[in-house]
Amino acid sequence: MALCATACLSFLGCANARAEDASSWRELETKYIFGFTTGSGIGLEGEKEFTVDTIGRFGKRDGHYAATETKYEFEFTPSQFIQIEFGALGSTHDIHGVTGLDDRSQFAFAGGFAEFRYLAIERTSNNPLSVTVAFEPNVRLIDETSGERVHNYEFETTVNADIELLKNRLYAGFNLLYEPEVTWTALDQTVREATVGGSAALSLRLMSNVVLGGEIWYLRHYDSPTLTAFTGDAVMLGPTLYIRFTPKMFMTAAWNTQVWGREVGNPVSLNLAEFQRHRARLKFAWEF
Amino acid sequence: MSAVSMMTRLVLLALCAVAMLQASPSLAQQATEVHLTYSKGQFQPSQVSAPADKPITFRVKNLDAKAMEFESTSLRVEKVVAANSEGIINVRALKPGRYEFYDDFNEKARGALTVQ
Repeated sequence: MALCATACLSFLGCANARAEDASSWRELETKYIFGFTTGSGIGLEGEKEFTVDTIGRFGKRDGHYAATETKYEFEFTPSQFIQIEFGALGSTHDIHGVTGLDDRSQFAFAGGFAEFRYLAIERTSNNPLSVTVAFEPNVRLIDETSGERVHNYEFETTVNADIELLKNRLYAGFNLLYEPEVTWTALDQTVREATVGGSAALSLRLMSNVVLGGEIWYLRHYDSPTLTAFTGDAVMLGPTLYIRFTPKMFMTAAWNTQVWGREVGNPVSLNLAEFQRHRARLKFAWEF
Repeated sequence: MSAVSMMTRLVLLALCAVAMLQASPSLAQQATEVHLTYSKGQFQPSQVSAPADKPITFRVKNLDAKAMEFESTSLRVEKVVAANSEGIINVRALKPGRYEFYDDFNEKARGALTVQ
């Protein structure tokens, strides 16, 4: 259904896009135009931004499962190659009748994070490729999946690349992800795990302030940061949307559905142990 | 180590890294100055050029009675220039190409820097 919606909207967009002259549009900052896939943009030196970025995860094998994590984030660009972000995390969990998880309905302060982005390859009018390397340490007091009180340390490392395929019009984005983490539970258990993956996204600029696209993610989960204990993988697919309301305010939205997955030792379709059936992202940003 | 302490150390580490990266050799080179005037909502001249692989300093003189914001996605800079004043914007050494700039407060005010 998501694919159909994307296709229809893309078709409508193409018709509309032909009526506009993309050469008169301003260049686009690509960081947020690919949904869950992050573009290579690092902002402008001197720019500051406050964002509210919510990611929701929905659906497990049984029962009712809905969890969100919101980043209340301040980001700034101190040089023409570096971007720094930091902020607080809030989470909600609404879980009922899910095997292996306790029932709970809660809203909580969940921890903090920082992100450091370095632009390794910059786009010019002669080179359409741009690449950024990003490191994001997270400290969580609430488990992302179960909502239990924990101490969790995660170090997300990503490579964010994008290519301008058609000037001011069509962009492709690619991410590589390595996300090791360690968790100490309330029962004094230590859990070490890692997620690795990659994504590809395509985004079409329909109007000067509207970008529509789609993305696909392949994610693998391990019960070890050294990637020695594979537990399962999944493919997520869905549409993305970016709208700039004013020169200083924009939003991005994305919806991913798990279309394929497997759990090691469990012959069922999809991987709903480590991943979710659906995930959604909604982000609002104000620049100043 | 507490979570707050760990985050503080990471932020300090990042700030040190930024300081080291900002002290790059290219900024020590003599910058090419590009002079722009902003008047009646337009850049004059609107097309400028500069040599490649040398840092650039834009001197933007705003002659209008209201503030403007010199901004460029490809140059990766933005700076508000108050009414009847001058703004100085330092840009890294650039590769050959065309770099657009504009007034973020005025959709029609645009220009471009050609680096060769």
